[in-house]
Amino acid sequence: MSLLRAEGLCVTAHIGGVKVAALDGLSLALAPGKVLGLVGESGAGKSMLGRAMAQLLPPGFAVSAGTLEFAGQDLVAMAPDKRRALLGRQIGFIPQEPLSALNPVRSIGSQFAEHLRRLGVADWRAAALAALDTVQLPDLLDRFAHQLSGGMCQRVLIAMAFASKPALVVADEPTTALDVTIQARIVALMRDLQIAQNTAVLFITHDLRLAAQVCDEIAVLYAGRVVEHGPADVVLAQPLHPYTKCLLLAAPAMSGPRQALYALPDQMPGLRALAEMTGCRFAPRCPLARDACRKEVPALAGGAHKAACPHIAEIGKIAVSELAPAAVATTGETLVSVRGLGKTFRGRFGRKPTVAVHDVSFSIAAGEFVGVVGESGSGKSTLARLLMGLEHKTTGDIHLAGQDVGRWEAAARRLRLRTAQMVFQDPQSALNPRRRVGAIVTQALEAVGIGLAERRVRAAEILADLGMPQELADRAPSQLSGGQRQRVNIGRALCLVPKLLVADEIVSGLDVSVQAQLLGLLARLRTEHGFALLLISHDLAVVRYLCERVMVMRNGRVVEAGRTDAVFANPQHEYTRELLASVPGPAILR
Amino acid sequence: MSAAFARRLLAVAPILAFVSLLLFAALRLLPIDPAAMSMPPTATKVEIEAARHAMGLDQPVTTQYVIWLGQTLRGDFGNSIHMRRPVAGLLQETLPATIELSVMAMLIAGVIGLGGGLGLFALRDRRGEAVAETLTTLMMSLPEFLWALLLIFVFGVLLSALPFTGRLDPGMTRPVVTQFLLLDTLLVGRVDVFFSALRHMVLPAFALGVAFAPPIMRVLRASLIDAYQEDYIRQARLRGVGEARILLGHALQNAVLPTLTLMGVQFGFLFGGSLLVEVIYSYPGMGNLMVDAVRNADLPIIQAVGLTYCVVVLAITALVDGLVMLLNPRLRGA
Repeated sequence: MSLLRAEGLCVTAHIGGVKVAALDGLSLALAPGKVLGLVGESGAGKSMLGRAMAQLLPPGFAVSAGTLEFAGQDLVAMAPDKRRALLGRQIGFIPQEPLSALNPVRSIGSQFAEHLRRLGVADWRAAALAALDTVQLPDLLDRFAHQLSGGMCQRVLIAMAFASKPALVVADEPTTALDVTIQARIVALMRDLQIAQNTAVLFITHDLRLAAQVCDEIAVLYAGRVVEHGPADVVLAQPLHPYTKCLLLAAPAMSGPRQALYALPDQMPGLRALAEMTGCRFAPRCPLARDACRKEVPALAGGAHKAACPHIAEIGKIAVSELAPAAVATTGETLVSVRGLGKTFRGRFGRKPTVAVHDVSFSIAAGEFVGVVGESGSGKSTLARLLMGLEHKTTGDIHLAGQDVGRWEAAARRLRLRTAQMVFQDPQSALNPRRRVGAIVTQALEAVGIGLAERRVRAAEILADLGMPQELADRAPSQLSGGQRQRVNIGRALCLVPKLLVADEIVSGLDVSVQAQLLGLLARLRTEHGFALLLISHDLAVVRYLCERVMVMRNGRVVEAGRTDAVFANPQHEYTRELLASVPGPAILR
Repeated sequence: MSAAFARRLLAVAPILAFVSLLLFAALRLLPIDPAAMSMPPTATKVEIEAARHAMGLDQPVTTQYVIWLGQTLRGDFGNSIHMRRPVAGLLQETLPATIELSVMAMLIAGVIGLGGGLGLFALRDRRGEAVAETLTTLMMSLPEFLWALLLIFVFGVLLSALPFTGRLDPGMTRPVVTQFLLLDTLLVGRVDVFFSALRHMVLPAFALGVAFAPPIMRVLRASLIDAYQEDYIRQARLRGVGEARILLGHALQNAVLPTLTLMGVQFGFLFGGSLLVEVIYSYPGMGNLMVDAVRNADLPIIQAVGLTYCVVVLAITALVDGLVMLLNPRLRGA
């Protein structure tokens, strides 16, 4: 018998008087002790199932049809008190943002006490310490969330979720906010607890590869519908649905030849767009779509491995044969030269000073793409900020195009601005919400007093460069999609045609298909303009795809540097090996 | 944490020094001659010069300031020109009365504000919300002196339910132990006097406190709504924690922090605002003392009362900051 069973489950959203199915006829079954992966990009509706189970749907959303049963009991029709009795006891939840999921003004101990007392545990302190021990944490009952790292908070939450020995745990993107090495540990811990307690886990993630190694089965969700469902390894190795296949081809790989990424056009339709859509919801982006696809909703068909597409026989047509664009031949002249660069942040209020960057030396040739990898706190962002003059160095030299720009003077600043531009991580906050796209991308011209007419011309050129329609010039950032915003963010940096682009985590937090579009854009712009790139990323696969050389940073130092293929194939430093082993792949659980 | 709190207190010193300087300078710039003021109108020029010399007014201004500051630090605020009594003694009698009134007003504001805030939060997105909003806006838009007059009219005159002048019923004598009337009556065991004093304070304290309640309500309501958007609330619900516990044990604990900070700021305003209410209710506090002093250009009193207001407001601010630090682990330092 299945522990969790959804049959034709529909969650409907009311948007401006229109009803849209955010989850449309979801049918799934999860057996005790099994792990089911629910995979999809943002907007797929993958969090809706967990929220429907707890009846904590967003305002305006409601279960409109179908059944959702836990151990034979109807979760939707159940009285709130009865449902609440299940939560935390029979069903545990692990959240996406561990730091904010713990109450900031209550100690870890007091939150454990609240939970365990409710479970009827007499000696909560002993039970809490035992639970923390299962996730390899010491006694931190007197500590508060802000005193712990994200990984530690997540382990606390995992310990809490598993403390009641629940039959089912719902983990909603539990590692998305964490570093890749922490992700590997968290996933392994969850797997250990799941096996030890024979818990069923609903693992919700956007990462198909991570799901494939954690889960027994995978259900791929697109715009509220399951488009493919089957054994995890089979889905990954032989995807049947065009969306799954495109998704796999859009993610850069860590091994094999550096193939070009499949560029799925556009992005997942929003709820509003779904309201006017008939037929297959993937059809507008599908390379195999034909007219019939836009009329009729395909049924999920097949045996153990099901797909909702009548054209699975043609799945082989979706392929990428060409390789990733190779490095542009450069003159070999040195563009950036950094020697012995260091940055120490003064300790405030008697705290110890922090060494963010220590004795870093490297150079970048004109037109060269160099990646910097490392986990949060390794100093990679500070390095970028030092290079851009957003922080003042403590020691060392920075030379750009042969000239010293490490000084704190107007001349050095002007030179730096002409030569180098930065793309920030979060376009939402990097773009002034009160300005139009056309004005944003030509800000650099405005700053040096170029007239409006000339700026308009340049804005049109930049939008064309970015592959964006001209009419977007008059839009505000809030009217753009996430991917478009990040394009504008890149376009702004390209305005003065810099020789060097410094990009800090510019594709993290974006969906795989949008990431592929942006990586493709950067590769194309490189061949057209020949700029050099310093790419800061926690994603080794992205660096492998774009960059010829890589630097591995840890605790403010460069621990390993070299040609990307050489470093990744034959890592010398222990930390590089650890990073590489943490990338989702078969090794992560060993 | 104690180190952080000590730093906070240390930061108060330069503010106090600056205020003392400002007070001193402002009052010296006034076209009033304290020496002439302190003499009878028939005094001769020579006599006034002698008084001037005795008061140190013929010395350089900086020396005058140093003398004044030194005396002030020793608790010697000089003699009132008009009442011919040491100012320190006057302060000792009136400051406790004003503190009692303000604390009571703040308690009333706090109870109405926090209760009302929870009520407004419970009413959110319901039909009663607009009505409640209008009522709180009305409450807030009436200044405290209007409240004072209204309350006198309704409870004092129409209903004759509560007294509205002075601190005690006629014929009662006030015991003096600490100068805090409510405390003293209890210390000497005169419960009847205590209740009389309490009854006399109801109207002025209410008039003073009621206008400060609506901002507290609104900030608490907004902070609660913010808190309910947070992940830890959802996570607590997903753990099966009941709604009552979520409100009191999770949301309120976070939402009360900005509310407390606001109340600290308000207490400063409220302390200053007691002036008008004291005059209206003939309440023998520092406000009445100040009004009389201004009327008579009684410089020593004005200086001393001004400085006292400043010290009290700073002390309250420091106290509230300490309380917020105590309740918010993020401010306690790693």
